[in-house]
Amino acid sequence: MTNAIPSIALVGNPNAGKSSLFNALTGARQKIANYPGVTVERKAGHASFADGRPMSLVDLPGSYSLSPASPDEAVTRDVVLGRQAGERRPDALIVVVDAANLDNHLCFALELIALGLPTVVALNMLDLAERDGLTLDPEILSRELGVPVVPTVAVRRRGMTELLAAVEGAIGSHQPLAAEIVAPPATDVALHQRAREIARATTLSETPVRRWTARVDAVVLHPVAGFLILLALMFIMFQGVYAWSEAPIGWIEAGFATLQQMVTANLPDGFVRGLIVEGLIAGVGAVIVFLPQILILFLFILLLEASGYMTRAAFLMDGIMAKVGLSGRGFIPLLSSFACAVPGIMATRAIPDAKDRLTTILIAPLMTCSARLPVYTLIIGAFIPARNVGGSPVGLQGLVLFGLYLSGIVGAMIVALVLRRTVAKGNAAGFMMEMPRYQWPRFKDIAIALWQRAWIFLRRAGTIIAVTTVVLWLLLSFPKAPADGSISQVDYSVAGRIASGLEVVVRPIGFNHDIALALIPAMAAREVAVSALATANAIEAGDDEEAMAQSLSERLQGRWSIATALAFLAWFVFAPQCISTIAITRRETNGWKWPLFMVGYLFALAYAAAGITYWIAVAFGLG
Amino acid sequence: MNPRLDSAPLGVAVRISRIDWDRLSQDEGRRLREFGLMEGIEVTPLHRGSLFSRDPLALSIGRMQVIIRARHAAMIEVVPAGL
Repeated sequence: MTNAIPSIALVGNPNAGKSSLFNALTGARQKIANYPGVTVERKAGHASFADGRPMSLVDLPGSYSLSPASPDEAVTRDVVLGRQAGERRPDALIVVVDAANLDNHLCFALELIALGLPTVVALNMLDLAERDGLTLDPEILSRELGVPVVPTVAVRRRGMTELLAAVEGAIGSHQPLAAEIVAPPATDVALHQRAREIARATTLSETPVRRWTARVDAVVLHPVAGFLILLALMFIMFQGVYAWSEAPIGWIEAGFATLQQMVTANLPDGFVRGLIVEGLIAGVGAVIVFLPQILILFLFILLLEASGYMTRAAFLMDGIMAKVGLSGRGFIPLLSSFACAVPGIMATRAIPDAKDRLTTILIAPLMTCSARLPVYTLIIGAFIPARNVGGSPVGLQGLVLFGLYLSGIVGAMIVALVLRRTVAKGNAAGFMMEMPRYQWPRFKDIAIALWQRAWIFLRRAGTIIAVTTVVLWLLLSFPKAPADGSISQVDYSVAGRIASGLEVVVRPIGFNHDIALALIPAMAAREVAVSALATANAIEAGDDEEAMAQSLSERLQGRWSIATALAFLAWFVFAPQCISTIAITRRETNGWKWPLFMVGYLFALAYAAAGITYWIAVAFGLG
Repeated sequence: MNPRLDSAPLGVAVRISRIDWDRLSQDEGRRLREFGLMEGIEVTPLHRGSLFSRDPLALSIGRMQVIIRARHAAMIEVVPAGL
């Protein structure tokens, strides 16, 4: 070892409590990036030994063995073998095992110990094992495995000091292991036998405990009741996204309005002020407003995941997903795609079957992601009357929104069915998955994950979205229209002229010049359509006080027909307007073929859906 | 022929007597073994299917629960536990 700070890898089975242990050791000081060349997330952080010397910790993806079944598991294998490009081989391993599932987790532990690196085993979630009536002897386990074993309860930070001390000791006193321990059992059957023997030797007593979780599962996984519970949870989730975000959205809007007033008051009128007030603040503000909704959605998904419910949901959904050629595994990525397709598509890595995975990737953008919400909310607010349907308590606006979500889901199912019979033809998808135990989600773990999501969103708003809105503002502001008022600034500008070209293509489906103008920058991200409309509106209003006072939705009401508005909504159910999604699809499918296919079929669907919506609406006299 | 896991009654422990490894792909077979599903092991089928389907099957093996499809369960022959 050189004088570089020691690097220690956390490695273990899925559901061993590795992430909690990582959070307990590193706190919130974590860095998330990707391993070079692959889209596997690399989580790294720092901790220090008792004497204050720093160490770097890497949390490797959960894996069952050194024979990978997914890209994530391949990274785990390559890192511990020192074969991962750009990654130093760890100086020591912390092998995390679930104390209540030694039979299974010791298999991978045995394989890892046999690698001969300094190794410490964290006997994790010891409290849950005790709850299950198990009494274990860490010393026997340590003797059988030939490495130090430290009992830990990561969620209560128990055993962390001891664990780090053991790692320090293991690095300091490391000698190559005796040959008979280095050679792991040759076959996986023998490996399992050895693991079970060790587990039996380690278990001092085992009192059968009637587990409350079995009674919970009897309801939650019940073919009918379980399904109703899942539907109710989804309903609460989407209600929560709207109901609880109202107040914080108001604060953010007020904050940006104040900011605009302050800048307007303190900067002289001119290019810079226009750029900042009409371009940057109007554009970025229109997007950041959606942070509360995105966080609430992610909060639900993280809670469902951390509690162990998400796998139950996958179990319940598997039957339906199988009918369109997918598997329950695909439910988690697709549900995540309601927040954002990018993490959703990344989550498809857990799907072992290649064709199943490809189909899930291709339909993920059809789930209504949070970036569509700005568009939907604006248009629905402007054009759909806020009244109830008939005499019922169901609001018309909510119903339209629900219809948009539903269109995306139904569209996705049909597309999956078609793809699995054509371009993604293959064997019936498999579904093999471990069902984690129920656990109370831990506040700190959820908070860290939520903060990471918020940061990714804000960074996006601060970079891609800020740049596109500023560029758009420039394109909209120049060249300056003649002062005689014969032509509006927007129409005269560069962007306006480009939009006029595009308008020819989209006029048949009811789109006007405003929309053509908004569609181009919205290629970067859907929500930019709203900031584009806002920016164009701000420029057009100029110094006209009356126009300035009008809200964006009021201005749209005067300029668009209902048929056009509905067509615009239908367009965004399908349109693949998000550079990040296209980029992540390229990386996850290793080439341009599938992202191009995705963009092509989604634009075709969007055009058809918008057209049909428009023509029907016009036939009903809404044009 | 012994009964298969896909039709075994729920809540009753059974012992795996034989698995048609040849009919499973290499990856499927390995994942089953990684879960600990192999000859001689006792498992208990726990939950089967949802509203629209008899798929999948959740079973307990040791202290772990796993989910597999009926198609794979049909390749696993079982005998009553304790035999």
